[in-house]
Amino acid sequence: MSWLSKIKEAVICLKAGRATLPYPFEPRPTPERFRGRPIFDGARCIGCAGCANNCPAREILVFDPSQEVRIIKYLGLRCTYCGRCADVCPEGAITMSREFETATNDIRDLEQHLEIFMGTCTRCGRCFKEPSILEQLKLKGYRDDDLENDRWVYSSRPFLDGGSVVRDIEIELD
Amino acid sequence: MTASEILSQLKTRFDASVQRADIPQDDRLFVYVTPASLRDVCRYVFRDLDARYVTSIGMDDRQRTGRYLIAHNFAFDKDHVLASILTYLRENHAAVESIVEGVPAANWAEREFKDLLGIEPVGHTTPKRLVLPDGWPEGAHPLRKDVPWNFVPPDYDDSRQYAFDDPPEGCIVVPFGPFHPTLDEPAHFRLYVDGETVKGCEYRGFMVHRGIEKLSESVLSYNEIPMLAERICGICGSVHNVTYAQAVEQAAAVKPPPRAEFIRTIMLELERLHSHLLWVGLASHILGFDTLFMQSFRIREPIMWITEKISGNRKTYALCVIGGVRWEITPELRSELREVLSALEKEWLAVAGAVRGDRNVQRRTKGVGVADKALVKEMALVGPIARAAGVPIDCRRDHPYAAYDRVEFDVVTQEGADVWSRLLVRVLEVFESIRIIRQCLEKMPDGPIAAAVEADLPAGRMGSSSVEAPRGEAHHFVVTGEENRPRRWRVRAPTYQNLQGVPAMIREQHLADMTISLGSIDPCFSCTDRLEVVDIRTDRTRVYGQEELLRLARSVRR
Amino acid sequence: MMTAVVIASFNVLLVLLVAPLFEGVVRRLTARIQSRQGPPLLQPYLDILKLLGKEDIESGVAPGVQRLAAALSLASVLTVATMVPMGTRPPLSGIGDAIVLVHLLGLSGVSILLAGLAAGSTYSLLGMSREMVTMVTLEPLLAVALILGAVQTGSMHLDVVLGGSAYAGTGLPLPGLVMLGTILFAFQAFVGRLPYDTAEAETEIMEGAMMEYSGPKLALFKYARMARLLVYGALFCALFAPWGNSWPFPLGTLAMLGKVFLLVLLVTVVAATHARYRIDQAVRHYAIMLGVAVAALVVAVLRA
Repeated sequence: MSWLSKIKEAVICLKAGRATLPYPFEPRPTPERFRGRPIFDGARCIGCAGCANNCPAREILVFDPSQEVRIIKYLGLRCTYCGRCADVCPEGAITMSREFETATNDIRDLEQHLEIFMGTCTRCGRCFKEPSILEQLKLKGYRDDDLENDRWVYSSRPFLDGGSVVRDIEIELD
Repeated sequence: MTASEILSQLKTRFDASVQRADIPQDDRLFVYVTPASLRDVCRYVFRDLDARYVTSIGMDDRQRTGRYLIAHNFAFDKDHVLASILTYLRENHAAVESIVEGVPAANWAEREFKDLLGIEPVGHTTPKRLVLPDGWPEGAHPLRKDVPWNFVPPDYDDSRQYAFDDPPEGCIVVPFGPFHPTLDEPAHFRLYVDGETVKGCEYRGFMVHRGIEKLSESVLSYNEIPMLAERICGICGSVHNVTYAQAVEQAAAVKPPPRAEFIRTIMLELERLHSHLLWVGLASHILGFDTLFMQSFRIREPIMWITEKISGNRKTYALCVIGGVRWEITPELRSELREVLSALEKEWLAVAGAVRGDRNVQRRTKGVGVADKALVKEMALVGPIARAAGVPIDCRRDHPYAAYDRVEFDVVTQEGADVWSRLLVRVLEVFESIRIIRQCLEKMPDGPIAAAVEADLPAGRMGSSSVEAPRGEAHHFVVTGEENRPRRWRVRAPTYQNLQGVPAMIREQHLADMTISLGSIDPCFSCTDRLEVVDIRTDRTRVYGQEELLRLARSVRR
Repeated sequence: MMTAVVIASFNVLLVLLVAPLFEGVVRRLTARIQSRQGPPLLQPYLDILKLLGKEDIESGVAPGVQRLAAALSLASVLTVATMVPMGTRPPLSGIGDAIVLVHLLGLSGVSILLAGLAAGSTYSLLGMSREMVTMVTLEPLLAVALILGAVQTGSMHLDVVLGGSAYAGTGLPLPGLVMLGTILFAFQAFVGRLPYDTAEAETEIMEGAMMEYSGPKLALFKYARMARLLVYGALFCALFAPWGNSWPFPLGTLAMLGKVFLLVLLVTVVAATHARYRIDQAVRHYAIMLGVAVAALVVAVLRA
């Protein structure tokens, strides 16, 4: 019986042929819904910061250097490509691209930087309707620092300094 | 027995000790008892009512009530009821009667709340450190609400060593792990070996700490947690994603639309398919049978591709949000999925036919790593381990969730209780999964894939959910909270219980069988090690820089 | 004398040059059976070069012994190579006898023991004890095969024994055929391949005795392992399939390599379709083989 099994196993192997793909010479085409690196389209972004509020990895930062300018920064450090930012974006400004080969020597290569000119609605500062109540961020308005509540990565600062923008965890880069 | 019958039994037996109870739906029971009676109630539930132990949860509720909460969860598999025995401890009192004498399976869970919340299980048989790293100071308990999520203890002591038990007379100590070619993740077994025979072992795991539970109750929001939950495990991630969503939905009484339930079922079964095929591959690799390893991975690959087409990623499906799912299964995907399943079924029939008669594999697996019915009961082992020992438990049938109550399937059991039986169970379950997915594709109704959540989720509600992961039952317990996030979220992965059975499984076995015995539970250390705060270095798992490593490698002279 | 030296050096060179190629064949064929592409055929040469170029790290309890063990493992196999006919005139004719061969082959096992002992880690020692058990049960098998030849030809001389002596004598060479089958079964164990690679068993004891080795020392051990496949193959051919050995120079060598090649294919297919046996199961198998071999020897003695 055992010999029979071995022969059956051999037949499985023989039938299979070679399974190795010629990657990386010929990358396998990615499917339509593939969730690769998110790409931010500055022309469409209205600066609502919905993406920043719903990023589980807290990879999208918002800075307000002045009343008129809002800077949205995508870090790409520990982004998990879950695609929630693209889900909640009311303007379709974020697309999950098909890029996945993002190895780099300098993590800053993955950063994306949008500068948005904002209208000044002093009444509410809001321009984003959440898909559901669960997407709301109840802790703060969008224009204020919220240091007491310790929202870690999403933090607006009055200016961009040269230092590390990731203040939550001291990540050691080599 | 229904939930209310179980409750009335408890009431007749324990009278005034049962303080109040809640039966939010037919298959859930929450009973509050007095701390003094907790031990007896749990023993009664476990021994006399023959419930299966699930897990224990500690919670710091001092901000609202000034007390700690302890919950012991049990499952009445035949009666389709998940029960929680809860008790509020005395005000500012951090000690509770240990139930480990009556319920040995509670060993780790009690040590866990001792480490993380500082609630002393009085009378515990092995009150050693479990979760916290060796150098962590006494008295700092990361899951307490007054400890911030990014707390780093200032008095962390790198030089402190874990005190292992003394090896038995005449045995040498073989360290197995933290790094070993067959362990995909760090875990340390200290094996006591006499010749080639294992006489005993001590486990020291919990080496990868990611702080997932702490983050969820302090930083993240309801809809962000699913994406984090699926990263608890690299293989059955979607299980945690779905289990979390279901636990919250149960707590907040949100009903996902039927189509979402069917899609969840399909994705869970696809995950089981790839996981079982992966396990067959890894098990053969452990046995040195790399050809079957490669072939089962080859057969598995189309499943990964189809899930990539459905969800956008081979493995992390990012499937659930509260109240529904994110990915629609279009008619094209449906027919493609059918084709993938037929190809898979054909290939797997060939493999199953070949492997079942393979005496060479049987020699290495029959009578190895035996976990009999008694051990299954005592240690509350779950999944293929239990089913291979002839204990027919399967959450898909016993505690139906998603769309499992609308499909037909068999619970595969074997009687051998050894690695070979576990192999058979997994090989045969592949066909059941294919059957389930086909029925789902057939019966899936049209409609929306996510429910609209109109109001805030109510705070302070409890929910639990058990999902049959490929490795066994994954159980999540959620207490909803304010600020759009849960107050407490406890994850119990199947490996958490199964790993506790390993010492008994490998005793008096060959050292060579150790790896396959451990492998046969398909251990998932990342599932088990999900808690705790970041950036901890134990002496053994220190992160060395390259320079340091080179220096060390050159200087070792023993 | 001079020709003996030339032939012996030719054998050593042949083994050194061709052994990695055969290893390449093993890897490539294994890959094909496993539906993989597999490495280029010349990869083992590059591997050896790579390892030789690496830093020599001394991490064991007795670095001197470790160096000795590494050198010994390759040296003993190469010494055996000088005595095995490889399509040329039997080298060292009239010098050695069959017992030397058995001891030299034992020496290559001893080098593994030394390696494990000198490394001194728990897993090395486990690998060492397994290797020892394997040696104790396997060595006699080879000795019995050689003695069978000696009994049937009435001479212990190497060149006589290694000239297809298994089938010597008149009538149906029954003991020789039985021995052929036994050694064929045991061949997997002689060259340390699955399902009998218990002493290294990566997924159980992490390469056992080899665990602590890297760089040039590992290169020597690996080279010895590759060479062992070729040398044992040649030895097997000399004992049981000597046809073509007496052909003129390049043809005889090519015939020998061709036969070894077929043997390598067989070894690979068996290795790729089997799971590893546990050490106690393996030893039981060796014992059965040894029993059969001794029975064949007894028959041969009675008939002689």
